[in-house]
Amino acid sequence: MTFLAFVFLLALLPAGSARHLPKAAISSPVFGPREVQAVLGGSATVKCFYPPTPMNKHDRKYWCRLQGSRCVTVVSSDYVAPAYQGRISLVDHPEAENFQIHISALGRGDTGTFQCGVGVNGRGLSHTVTVSIVEEPREAAELFYVKLRSTWTVSCSFGKETASMRKYLCKKEKGGCRNIVDSRLDIDPDFQGRVLLTYEEPPGTFSVTVTQMDWEDTGLYYCGAGEYGKGNNSRELDVFVYEDKNFPQLKTKVTGKTGGSATFECLFNPLKSSTKFWRKLRKQGGYETIIDSTGFVKYNYEGRVAMFENPQNKTVTVILNQLQAKDEGFYWCMSDELKEQQSSTELKVVEGKPALTGDKKVEAEAGSQLDLTCSYPCQYYSYEKYWCKWSPTGCSMLPGQQPGVPGPAASCNTTNRTMVLSFDPLAEDDEGWYWCGVKRNGAFGETMAVRLVVSAGSDAKHSPELLEVDSSRESGAVPPGGAHGGAEVRKGAVPESSDERRGSNTLALVLGPLAGLILIVVTAFAIVKYRQLKRSDLVSVGSYRTNISMSDFESVRDFSASNSAKETQETPVGGDEFIATTDTQESAADTTKAKRSSKEDAELAYSSFLVTSDSIAQGSSGGDSAVPDVSPPQDRVSPWLYLEDHNLGKQHCSSLPQFAVA
Amino acid sequence: MRSSLLLCVALAVSLGTILVAGYPVSPDDEEYVLVNNKCQCVTVTSRFVPSQENPDEEVLERNIRIIVPLKARENISDPLSPLRTTFVYRLSELCKTCKPIEIELGGAIHQAQQGNSCEEPQTCYTYDRNQCYSSPVPLLYHGEVRQVPAALTPASCFAE
Repeated sequence: MTFLAFVFLLALLPAGSARHLPKAAISSPVFGPREVQAVLGGSATVKCFYPPTPMNKHDRKYWCRLQGSRCVTVVSSDYVAPAYQGRISLVDHPEAENFQIHISALGRGDTGTFQCGVGVNGRGLSHTVTVSIVEEPREAAELFYVKLRSTWTVSCSFGKETASMRKYLCKKEKGGCRNIVDSRLDIDPDFQGRVLLTYEEPPGTFSVTVTQMDWEDTGLYYCGAGEYGKGNNSRELDVFVYEDKNFPQLKTKVTGKTGGSATFECLFNPLKSSTKFWRKLRKQGGYETIIDSTGFVKYNYEGRVAMFENPQNKTVTVILNQLQAKDEGFYWCMSDELKEQQSSTELKVVEGKPALTGDKKVEAEAGSQLDLTCSYPCQYYSYEKYWCKWSPTGCSMLPGQQPGVPGPAASCNTTNRTMVLSFDPLAEDDEGWYWCGVKRNGAFGETMAVRLVVSAGSDAKHSPELLEVDSSRESGAVPPGGAHGGAEVRKGAVPESSDERRGSNTLALVLGPLAGLILIVVTAFAIVKYRQLKRSDLVSVGSYRTNISMSDFESVRDFSASNSAKETQETPVGGDEFIATTDTQESAADTTKAKRSSKEDAELAYSSFLVTSDSIAQGSSGGDSAVPDVSPPQDRVSPWLYLEDHNLGKQHCSSLPQFAVA
Repeated sequence: MRSSLLLCVALAVSLGTILVAGYPVSPDDEEYVLVNNKCQCVTVTSRFVPSQENPDEEVLERNIRIIVPLKARENISDPLSPLRTTFVYRLSELCKTCKPIEIELGGAIHQAQQGNSCEEPQTCYTYDRNQCYSSPVPLLYHGEVRQVPAALTPASCFAE
């Protein structure tokens, strides 16, 4: 059964976890203008941004002129070149993560290629700027220094007369400007769900928000009215993404099961008492507010959604339960205070059984004794469990059961893995939504909602309903007595109806799970077969388990054997030519696949495991795999070593261990 | 005649769309980082380049850049240790993915180690810019010798 669960999880694994970073990730994080234009005799200001680490904040800043391979300092934190004495200044603004160089009385000799940077050498932390003297300087691009995974917001305005025109944001690329988003809701697939164009006051003003900024989003953008390249209604925006190791990594994709629940995390600034909104992006543009921190809950979402604030770790958790397929989409956390607090998450809903089970709707009469039950699987054994009463402003935790205290109380029965919420007696104002849920280390997990309807007076019609509640709990185990005495008595009062019910239920109980099991086995078999067909490395399932069993090793050895067999074909030839041919075959195959499917990405995620397990398997098999240490074809060396590769492009550490560069 | 003309127009339009939409979505220099080891100052990147033998095909080029800190000590945290004269770069170790990833299993998030033998510390040949290194030095204070930590990388030792 665990294996089946595994197979399912493999299908759900987030894509791209093994993706390699683009080169931008290791290039200099210092950023500034590409070009500075000024008039003769005028002045210029260069603003250079740097990552606000403690080291960078205190380190030397400099501005130097590139001359061949050298960079001659013009001005630094504690030095000014004689030629610039009195007309240049360098001011550091650590709080704004930048420093500014101001040059006045510009002459012809001040033009050229310069670098601004941090530190004592030009290695790693510098940015190149060209300074030129022109008759009419054009408007400089606006610079945006954006943290990786954070949100970028830009506001553009082109006057009232452009109010009725098309508004757009496009990214400059070879051969044109790729449309990212426009007012006709034409959105680039790469930005689907994470870009929002909103109109602002005064007319003709609009703003674009992009969440989850990634390395690839660095570049030159244009926002404008009308069409790109026509008229003067456009502005140049230079966006640079840098990494801040302290910036929290939020989940960008949440998967929930039908009937189950999904947990979303949003960042917020606890110092600002802003209103927080949780909104769903509409397909036809715009968004709809589902819940906000003032107590608004959208119609049809009562009892389904709740917001929990945790000021300690600056997050807001939103839980949505009773998931349906139509809940799929993109959800945004917004705030009326700061635009930076926005974030977006995609929700996927898959078919499945929610982990928490129990009666979803319970009717009972006022004054009676009632137990709401919620069964949880073994995986939640060590989790903190709770019952809470839902209200539009949140879900208030109900205290654990204390002996002798009347009123609603929640308790956890660990022996039969059910949580019981007891009402003794049931009051009319107890009616409403109750959530049972799990928590670990303060982080909210799955929840289940129960709707409690309290009917006034005693009505005989409702007693079978009550019995149902009891019998369902009884299927778990014997209640721990004491507090549940009332329920026992009532059960004894109508024994025959209870028996009848059980009799009719037996058939359903046997047939239902059986059909489900067959369905699961068939699906699992289909998935396994499909993956085998795709020559996938399913053996690497083991990489997600902490302890790897011997069977895994055997299958891994199989893989390594086939792998080494392939390599032994190559090694005797040894020469460059053969390697080159295998190379081209595979690389050609790779390039034809412009975009990998998510499944393939998930498969790639295991290759790192295969590298290591490969070596283990080789070691354990006593060196029979016969993979000699092939010396690399080092034809072009210094300062870079060029190695021909005979494995796939973006995932090739696996072939590396054979090379020994010492 | 008219139908063939129509066909020609349709063809031209479709060709136009192909040509206009045909530019690559990602930037031209698609180079990926395989290794970025700050500890031993090694970066490995790779990209596809046109093959020299056959310009129609692309081959993978891997660039390995190593900066050798010739003035580094055997133990970078001990300025009294001898100068390092041997620098060993094992790509198998550099390529190890030791960063644990988070995976979701049955509704719970678990940390999964991607590589084996990640516990062994790596010998560093150079300082990490964002880490403070210090070494104890004897200090005579009030007639008494005590060991006080002295910053080896003062600029990195500022508090946040």
